[in-house]
Amino acid sequence: MGYDLHFGWTGAIGKVVLGATRADGGTRKISYPIGGETTLPLLFKDPLSPTPLVALEICDNPEYWSPIIRNFCGDLVDTVDEWAKTAETVYGADLVRLYLTSTRQRNFSDIASVGKTLEAVLSATALPLIIEGSNEPGIDSEVFLKCGETAQGEKLLLGTAESGRYRSIAAAALAYNHSLIAQSPIDVNLAKQLNILLREIGVQRDHIMIDPYTGTLGYGFEYSYSAMERIRFSALKGDTDLAMPIICSAIDSLTIKEVREAEPALQDEMAVRWEFYTGIAAAAAGAEIICVRHPKTVGVLKNAFASMKSGAGFSEGK
Amino acid sequence: MIRGNTSMTDVEIAKKNGESYLKMMITAIQHSVSYDETAYHLPISFALTGIAVHNQKAALDVFARTSSNPLVAAECILAEKTAAEGREPSPYTGFIDDTVIRKLGYSLVDGSILGLALVVGTPKSAGSVSAICRELQEKYMLTFLAGDVVTSLSGAGVKLGLEYRLIPLGPAPAYGIHFVDIIARVAMMFGGVTPGDTHRLLTYATERAKAIVIVFSGLTDQEIAIVDGMRVLGFPILSLGDYSGGAWIPSLPEEVVRRGMEQKGIRVNVTAIPIPMGCSPAFEGKSIRKEEMYVEFGGGRSPAFELLHMRPVDEVKDGQVTVIGPEIDAVKEGGAFPLAIIVNVAGKMMKKDYEPVLERRIHNFVNYGEGSWHVAQRDIIWVRISKDVVAKGVKLEHIGKLLASKFRMDFPQLLDAVSVTLITDEAKVRAAKKVAELVYEERDARIKGMRDSDVTTYYSCTLCQTFAPNHVCVITPEHPALCGAISWLDGKIAYEISPSGANQPIEKGVVINTLNGEFEGVNKFVKKASHGEIDRCSLYSVMEYPMTCCGCFECIALILPEVNGIMVVNREFKGITPSGMTFSTLAGTIGGGAQTPGFAGISKNYILSDRFLQSEGGIGRLVWMPSPLKEELKTRLVKILTDQNRADLYEKIADETSATTIEVLISFLDRVKHPALTMKSLV
Amino acid sequence: MALKALDIYKLLPKKNCKECGDPTCLTFAMKLAGGKADVDLCPYLDDQAKSVLGATTRPPIRLIKIGVGERSFAVGEEFVLYRHDKTFNHPPGILFKVSDTQEPEEITAVTIRVRDESFTRVGTDLRFNGIAIENASGSADAFARAVTTVEESADLPLVLISKNTEALNAALVQVGSYQPLIHAATKENFRELCALAKKHSCPLVIKAHDLDDLTGLAKDCVTEGVKKLVMDISPQSPGDFITTSTALRQLAITRQSPDLGYPVFLDATHPHLKDAAIALGIVKYASVIITPPLSPASAKAALTLRQNIYTDPQKPIQMNPGLYRVGTPGKDAPVLLTVNFSLTFFTLEGYLESTRIPCFMLIVDTEGLSVLTAVAAGKLNETLVRDSIRKFDVEHEVSHKTLIIPGYSAPLSGRIEEATGWKVMVGPRDAAEIGEFLHEEWKKHES
Repeated sequence: MGYDLHFGWTGAIGKVVLGATRADGGTRKISYPIGGETTLPLLFKDPLSPTPLVALEICDNPEYWSPIIRNFCGDLVDTVDEWAKTAETVYGADLVRLYLTSTRQRNFSDIASVGKTLEAVLSATALPLIIEGSNEPGIDSEVFLKCGETAQGEKLLLGTAESGRYRSIAAAALAYNHSLIAQSPIDVNLAKQLNILLREIGVQRDHIMIDPYTGTLGYGFEYSYSAMERIRFSALKGDTDLAMPIICSAIDSLTIKEVREAEPALQDEMAVRWEFYTGIAAAAAGAEIICVRHPKTVGVLKNAFASMKSGAGFSEGK
Repeated sequence: MIRGNTSMTDVEIAKKNGESYLKMMITAIQHSVSYDETAYHLPISFALTGIAVHNQKAALDVFARTSSNPLVAAECILAEKTAAEGREPSPYTGFIDDTVIRKLGYSLVDGSILGLALVVGTPKSAGSVSAICRELQEKYMLTFLAGDVVTSLSGAGVKLGLEYRLIPLGPAPAYGIHFVDIIARVAMMFGGVTPGDTHRLLTYATERAKAIVIVFSGLTDQEIAIVDGMRVLGFPILSLGDYSGGAWIPSLPEEVVRRGMEQKGIRVNVTAIPIPMGCSPAFEGKSIRKEEMYVEFGGGRSPAFELLHMRPVDEVKDGQVTVIGPEIDAVKEGGAFPLAIIVNVAGKMMKKDYEPVLERRIHNFVNYGEGSWHVAQRDIIWVRISKDVVAKGVKLEHIGKLLASKFRMDFPQLLDAVSVTLITDEAKVRAAKKVAELVYEERDARIKGMRDSDVTTYYSCTLCQTFAPNHVCVITPEHPALCGAISWLDGKIAYEISPSGANQPIEKGVVINTLNGEFEGVNKFVKKASHGEIDRCSLYSVMEYPMTCCGCFECIALILPEVNGIMVVNREFKGITPSGMTFSTLAGTIGGGAQTPGFAGISKNYILSDRFLQSEGGIGRLVWMPSPLKEELKTRLVKILTDQNRADLYEKIADETSATTIEVLISFLDRVKHPALTMKSLV
Repeated sequence: MALKALDIYKLLPKKNCKECGDPTCLTFAMKLAGGKADVDLCPYLDDQAKSVLGATTRPPIRLIKIGVGERSFAVGEEFVLYRHDKTFNHPPGILFKVSDTQEPEEITAVTIRVRDESFTRVGTDLRFNGIAIENASGSADAFARAVTTVEESADLPLVLISKNTEALNAALVQVGSYQPLIHAATKENFRELCALAKKHSCPLVIKAHDLDDLTGLAKDCVTEGVKKLVMDISPQSPGDFITTSTALRQLAITRQSPDLGYPVFLDATHPHLKDAAIALGIVKYASVIITPPLSPASAKAALTLRQNIYTDPQKPIQMNPGLYRVGTPGKDAPVLLTVNFSLTFFTLEGYLESTRIPCFMLIVDTEGLSVLTAVAAGKLNETLVRDSIRKFDVEHEVSHKTLIIPGYSAPLSGRIEEATGWKVMVGPRDAAEIGEFLHEEWKKHES
């Protein structure tokens, strides 16, 4: 092609490593280097551009999860470690993201169970893990300590730090060498501020992923899309406080009206398409980990990402 | 070697003796020196030099490299003892392994522990040391004990152990060396300190590790040398024993914890407000009608004022509330009382400049109270307390407590101590009011007189970048933000309170063009903040490189080339202007972060600034503005024009009653002989 | 770099003659600077000035209309690489593809779908834009018959896809006057296709394998007299599409390659990457997307993505103010006040629906501002609330007079009470907590 795309970038996205293999002191079967890009997302010719990863979100108490998942997966959702294993072996996810929804119960205090759950999941699947801590700030300190300690050496991604609530997760990241997700309410400047606060407390840049908060398609998605583009742009222009890889998780996708009120026979398909369109558009804006909840979405997204970089795709002479 | 001596011990002398003794002892090491269950060898030595010490040779090597550091010596000696004799028996912990340290470090980072304290020596009475330890616990400090303090406490029935945050290291003060090896490990585990990076270690220990040492009597010379050796790490040594000299801080038991924490800037955050009334932003808009009120203050019925001022730290007792004069229960229901609200604040980072900004919060905080209501500011306040909450037992002192707590909660970094005085005695209120009025005047004079040339630092604001990604306002004393909401002082304070926030300092740098207000430093800043979009920015010009606009400007100033002048239109004006465009059309074109020569988004008050239209020749360029805006600014604008000997200009500025098209405006300006027509050509 | 308004003004006659339709030359200059006016409107500019101004003020991606009158849609008129820099202006047309080898019933079914199917989101009707007819058979007769079949069922914008000039001719005999988009001219056949396009004033897709070829081809077509062009960049994969489309957009908006400044065409047909191609086409600058008919789920998702990406970032989508029902609220159902910013509405509505408590949402006109902004700007105030209660006859719908207001509007609570005579309960700041609030505070209030 007789053209050159000149943007004059001076910066690059920082690199974060998730998952530690035996060689690195962990027990994961693979370790993902995320980030490192030097230009816009998914540019076919850029050899450094990594393929976005797909994470399947699961939880340890499905009472707090969309019924669509139970309908599709059956009783699997009642055994979190089986569910994690299936995510790897059947659904083909690149990562598993575990939400500790059990901590949402009123007056939850069984921190030991959190450790047990995590241990079970670590044994059941050899994929790198993302662990989403509690909903309740009051028990953050104990929950993150338990998670961090139990998975010491595995290079987890811990979620989620926010501007008023980041100390415990940062402590766990620092103490046990994990990375963390820094979330801000669809505002680039607030994302930057949070990263600065984390840096001041000691968290290194290469241990942070940015979550600009993703509204699902039709429910604020375009705001998130533009926030991601702006973060990528600033990073490439040299702003090191925004030069972290981005994670996208449109958690409302299965609870919106369009999916909830779809005819039962079409409901799975609606859920998958909604998650797919949201996810692939987010990847085009720069998201490097796309989180989904419907198992079928995993394969659809992975096929799309795989084909995007290969020469194959559209046939000639159309 | 001398214990329990009751005469004053000279620290310097004892230290020297002690250091010699330690030197001798380290040379006498024969066996291996090591600790189990740590990846950091002998942590202090390792952190200071990067050398893993396990035998005498290495020990001596490190000792030499660190210029015979007593802490190194103490560590090696105790390590040999531990290796040879095994761990100390319970309740002593001796050396604590890495796994536990990791947990401790976690708590330090996540804020469940605010700092670390080491308490050593032989207390005179179990009572005073128990009180000190209880205070440390209440203030979320993690306390390590070494020496007779341990037996003293356990003898008095105080529970010791990790879960009580009172950790007994060993039976002698020398075991206090573990305090240092813990901090060294935390530095290496959490602080990114590479073993051997002495400088980084010392910086971490001084600035990040909030550690204090409290010393009772009964230390041997070498123990004194060890404790004194901790000063280099930035730990204040607070002495409760008979020590003199050195840099140790003599203290009294009742104040030693407070002083130590103050020294290291450790502040306990306030989380609860202990009053019998709800307090939340949800109550902010709730008004209290006449029928609902128990008592009111000010509002024309009685004298009332509020004042927040900064005092030296030793004059403000945190949380203290004083009511001078009768309390609420002395008032008849429905009555009015005089009131003075005086908030005293102290803090290392607090500045006098911030007083008015903080004072404005009194209004919000009082309104957060479920049964309290507040209007206005300064000496025209009007406050009411409702019958409902008085029935629940709320008194004025609780309002004071509310204020003291909220100020501490909302400004944890800025304010170390807040106390509140409420006066209801009429004579005293009137007297205090006179003093307050002087303060208000002084503040007004200060801000009014501030000129751009008085300061070298301006402030930016990027709050609007959510909507206009490349826009940045440059705020100077004479040029407020275009939204009208942020002054230079507001920007300065916002920066000092939130250094990584939306307001950042801009060093002016060299002046490039005085008339236009173009500065090298400003240009550089704007270029970066606009992601390279804007190269140059003139602060006082509409025609050349004006500031970019987001979308929330109060007014737009723009060129009318046909009449060689500048017109202004404000957001509220919905009609057509002589430019042929409405405010809305103009806003749509120049907003979004664009820099449009000939067009500038400004605040209303900027129209009254000396800098307005400076580059274009001054206020004589102003040819048109909507009549309501003209009316709003009339008094102040006429004064400015009169001071410039051109009071007649006011009538020459057209408005929508005299012209709405350019053609009519031309003939109007001609008729009144507006100065802009004969000024230098703008285009 | 684009010229600024004042620089443009300097080149204008400055007569304020108003013949361009604007009251002053300054106004005209501002419009030109924003690409919102045509330099040809000024009768007093010489050709030299027009050419200079035109080149720098015309939209870098030209505005092209596909079709005529009611059966048309416009694409192009784009200025930016990132929507956040300003906005994307014209959403891509998405058309369903039929082939002349399909049975007439199939073709009719697809046509009817495009004609009738729509769904409403935020007050806008979302639908597909037309039919693309492919000459897979190679036969002119079959192609003409397929066109007839489509025309029998609907009046839609069309894309005619054929490698056979004769077939295109046959089709255009029927539908040429509706100015369908013709696919496609190549280096080999551009002269013939340009002649066809010119004859019927049709927009023309030009197709080449790389941007250099495309540039040359565009120039050639313009010389042949065809200015309404659309670019088929012949991507080999979705990844290839992203790269090439981005390059084209960047080269056009920096005015480095003005000849590339035309809307982009994308055929998303692919055994299993259709959705991926459509999604990427929407976000990466495709203006005409053709695809085999989509499943209902894909259709909804695709149209929603298109609506989202092509929303002006500076103009929040607004709901119509009014009293909305969640479930079937009765006389004692709670009434929740909020603003007409669509995102606020949907977020709150979603949470309310999941509480299963029937209630009313009183949506007031804050011109699309969010709660926080509307309170700060004074747009959400007690007068508006009072007037809205009257206008939407709320007192007729419920037997109580208690209004729940958003947490961030707490400062207004007292004034709203005074102005309306209603009692105010301050709800949570975060809509996610509304469920808990209703279950606890509202229930308490009821008893």
